[in-house]
Amino acid sequence: MKRLQDFTVGDTFVLVREVDPYRPIYYAAASGDFNPIHIDANVGRAAGYQGVILQGMCTFSWLADACGAYFGDPGRVRRVRARFTRPVQVGDVIRFEGRCTAVEGRAVRVEVAATNQRGEEVLKGATAEASVEET
Amino acid sequence: MPIDRKHLGRRYGPFVFEAGLERIRDFVAAVGGGVPGRVFAAPPSDPHPSTWDPAAARASRHGGLVAPPAFAAAFAIQPFAVACSDPELGLDVLRLVHGEQEFEWLGLIRPGDVLETTGEITRIADRGNLDFLEVTTTTRNQRDQVVVRGVWTAIIRN
Repeated sequence: MKRLQDFTVGDTFVLVREVDPYRPIYYAAASGDFNPIHIDANVGRAAGYQGVILQGMCTFSWLADACGAYFGDPGRVRRVRARFTRPVQVGDVIRFEGRCTAVEGRAVRVEVAATNQRGEEVLKGATAEASVEET
Repeated sequence: MPIDRKHLGRRYGPFVFEAGLERIRDFVAAVGGGVPGRVFAAPPSDPHPSTWDPAAARASRHGGLVAPPAFAAAFAIQPFAVACSDPELGLDVLRLVHGEQEFEWLGLIRPGDVLETTGEITRIADRGNLDFLEVTTTTRNQRDQVVVRGVWTAIIRN
């Protein structure tokens, strides 16, 4: 497993996730979020979207997974935050590009850009922090 | 219409959730590009071994499977969800979007943990034609340790 000295400011990491037609339903089953806006295309259209939209927390989970993979262990993840700026819809391909911004003591901080296949940001201000144990 | 600030400090919960092994595995599958469930199930594409592979997890420093951090979304959301549909607040859920999210993890979540989440309205604001509702949640495990704090912000477009 990665050690504290293996983290360097400027490190980069990438995670790509595709929103297949069933993903909002699978996420609903796993998370318990059955808001019809994520299940029923008619409800999604009534709310002004092209169809169903993905749960924001699924996008957030991908963000946390991307950061956790870089940090090397899910137990190291201390904080993750993000603003949801654009709906994620079926057919979208979301690319998370992270960069290490600080290594201070045992804390490692990153910022992440999350964009869809048109290059539009779906998250803003996405950051995460890990606490790396002493070895 | 702006949300009445008298609701600041309004509390929700406690909500109890048992973090069963299958729930954690279903979450890892659903988020990882797989299929949750027992029928037509498919594994996630690249899970962290500590969240998916029992043998690898046992051999890890955790000594067994742990939930991925984002699994908190499956239980800590409850006070926020209830606040958003609270008739006392009267929010229009069709105009409501999840605007912002923050988690702080203070401990691991393992299969079998019993998690109790409470929430409190910590901010009510308006800017232009937008209303903001912030709910802060605290989740404790069966040993009364705080394992995760969440700050959930809804935006209502008027």
